[in-house]
Amino acid sequence: MDDLSRRALLQAIAAALGVAALPSGWTGIVDAAVADEKFSFFNASEAADVEAVAAQIIPTDDTPGAREAGVIVFIDRALATFLSHLADDYRAGFADFQASFRKWRPGAGPFASLNSDQQIEFLKTVDRTPFFESTRLLTLLGMFTMPKYGGNRDGIGWKLLGFEHQASFQAPFGFYDRDYPGFAADSERTR
Amino acid sequence: MSAQKSRTYRDSEIVDFVIVGSGAAGGVMARELSRAGLSVVVLEQGPRPDIASFEHDEMKYSYLGGLSNDAVKNPQTFRDDPAKKAELQKFRPALWYGRGVGGASLHYTANFWRLHEIDFKERSVLGAIPGTGFADWPITYQDLEPYYTKVDWEIGVSGLAGVDPLDPPRSKPYPMPPLPVKSSGVLLERGARKLGLHPVPAPLAINSELYRGRPGCIHCGFCHSFACEVTAKASTLTTVIPEAEATGRCEVRPDSYVARIETNAQGRTTGVAYYDGRRGVGGAAGNGARERFQKARAVVVCANGAETPRLLLNSSNPRFPQGLANSSGVVGKYLMFNYNSRALGLFEHELNEHKSVQVSRIVMDFYNADPKRGFYGGGGLDARMGPQPTAWAIRTAGEGPAWGSEFKSRLREFTHSMHIAGHTTSLAVESNNITLDPDVKDAWGLPAMRVTYKDHPDDLATARFLQDRGVEILEAAGAARVTRAPITGSKFSVHLLGTCRMGNDPAASVIDKFHRSHDVPNLFICDGSSLVTSGRGQPTMTIQALAFRAGEHIAGFAKRGEI
Repeated sequence: MDDLSRRALLQAIAAALGVAALPSGWTGIVDAAVADEKFSFFNASEAADVEAVAAQIIPTDDTPGAREAGVIVFIDRALATFLSHLADDYRAGFADFQASFRKWRPGAGPFASLNSDQQIEFLKTVDRTPFFESTRLLTLLGMFTMPKYGGNRDGIGWKLLGFEHQASFQAPFGFYDRDYPGFAADSERTR
Repeated sequence: MSAQKSRTYRDSEIVDFVIVGSGAAGGVMARELSRAGLSVVVLEQGPRPDIASFEHDEMKYSYLGGLSNDAVKNPQTFRDDPAKKAELQKFRPALWYGRGVGGASLHYTANFWRLHEIDFKERSVLGAIPGTGFADWPITYQDLEPYYTKVDWEIGVSGLAGVDPLDPPRSKPYPMPPLPVKSSGVLLERGARKLGLHPVPAPLAINSELYRGRPGCIHCGFCHSFACEVTAKASTLTTVIPEAEATGRCEVRPDSYVARIETNAQGRTTGVAYYDGRRGVGGAAGNGARERFQKARAVVVCANGAETPRLLLNSSNPRFPQGLANSSGVVGKYLMFNYNSRALGLFEHELNEHKSVQVSRIVMDFYNADPKRGFYGGGGLDARMGPQPTAWAIRTAGEGPAWGSEFKSRLREFTHSMHIAGHTTSLAVESNNITLDPDVKDAWGLPAMRVTYKDHPDDLATARFLQDRGVEILEAAGAARVTRAPITGSKFSVHLLGTCRMGNDPAASVIDKFHRSHDVPNLFICDGSSLVTSGRGQPTMTIQALAFRAGEHIAGFAKRGEI
């Protein structure tokens, strides 16, 4: 495949994958849900900052992202309960994050109050830190594990991937195995 | 499968055998010894899982230790350099294994590759490799072949014999046809054949049809890291363990965390001290567990390549100050992982790799080492993908843009993507090992496991070589984009091999070719720790074949009064 046709193919795939179903009216529903949430591990301003970081890891564009999936609810619940053994390290990392942020922009409001471009600019300076890496891990867990853990609201994460959460499947599974004629050993074998 | 009808023993009864561990090896050992008429108690640190409770919950099984060792209760430390202080692994243990009756046979992927003839004698063929413990096995492929066949037929392996020109000799075909091909398998075939390679159906310990009372696969997609709720994937919990219990001579005791193996003045083992997590409060462990002691005429340790050496080291006493069975000093040493390289391909149409078993086609053309490459090593390739959503996302973050819009676009390629994984040899290196951590203790107050591991440069060269072959195959198959996963040092593994190696020389190995420890005549060891070389990436088939063979010999010793 030459570079030009490869590029055209990549564009075609990107276009096909971009057409994910948008639940109607999802933005309003989600904002209301998060606003009502009682946090256990974070206070409201901490939750806003961590949610803003998560929302930069999986941003909202034409499809929902970490914010709409309720990732912050997952992270809060995880650190308060089933991942509480990570909580002290997370808090220490968060303090480092805040200190770096104050140094980066002295006198600014909280991280969450910056516009998206500014947030990205700052995150690029800290995206190798333990805090960022932990937040990314927690964001991915909150986005893609079962909704009962607090995130992946309405299966938003699974819809993003095209993952079908169902008990069983039958062949054919994908496009390429549809017309498979059956295994035939290579007749030209020379070994 | 229910346990309630099985025989139970009192601690004070001297049973013929205590088996530590109920996984791939321990389950087979229990059946072979109990069927031979011997009394057996199997101690398993984890619970006896309820098969009906198995679900498709990534959080539970992949990150919360639902069926695996717990990073909090049973902590591990890790370092890649013996000069460094090992760090506590808080999120996930460095060495991940199955915990619960069935062990890792509950959550494995069930790729059941045999070793080839060369694996047993490669040191003689290729010569020594300085700085390593590269060695021949004291047994040959021919010694093990009948037991590989036993695994095929008694555990249940699906596959297609006679089509792989590199397959070692086999005395019988597979008992079941292969599982249906997946899109990744078709693409692997397409690409590999264009390059003159020989793709073949993958042998799997997963039923393609009803076999020995267990149904065929329903293609749910949750094999890797999950237990099979329909029992199509073979585990010892659903095959040999119920058969052992049916003899009326075997008791499987779950929630029993073994602390140490005890020995007497004659240097023989007398049984096993363990914490019973099922009863009572106020034991020595301070976590509700009560210490008990099961007397036995002999002990078989099948606790996996990580916990077996830890148990032997934790069993040191004045007579065996370096740990049990460790006069050679090699208990815990020569840990081997099998590196896993990945080439990721994006395709025009959907593959939906989250459906069905993880692997449907493999390529063995690069199995053998070739000195012309300039490094030691070889391996197998398979078509697969980390098929679960979270696994995919974490992996994607490690292989390209790790956050932001571009990361999100990559995540959306889930249904159109596949990997070709390259499974490598790992050289036995003395400084790759299991030792006892000097500071960290587990929840029972016992010294925790310290893991030291750094891939040998030849292992990483092999990984790069196999990744290159994967890239070529994906390109030949028409991938729109091919990405290489960075090849960095291993910091995590599920293949726990080589730490109580088998050998004829008591000064350089822990067990003899019948799995009897050189130092303690009534102590036997059989699991991943027994392997002398790493093979090419899929060890469970070999671990179970070794267990069938060892079980037969050990039963013979017991009956002839040679224990």
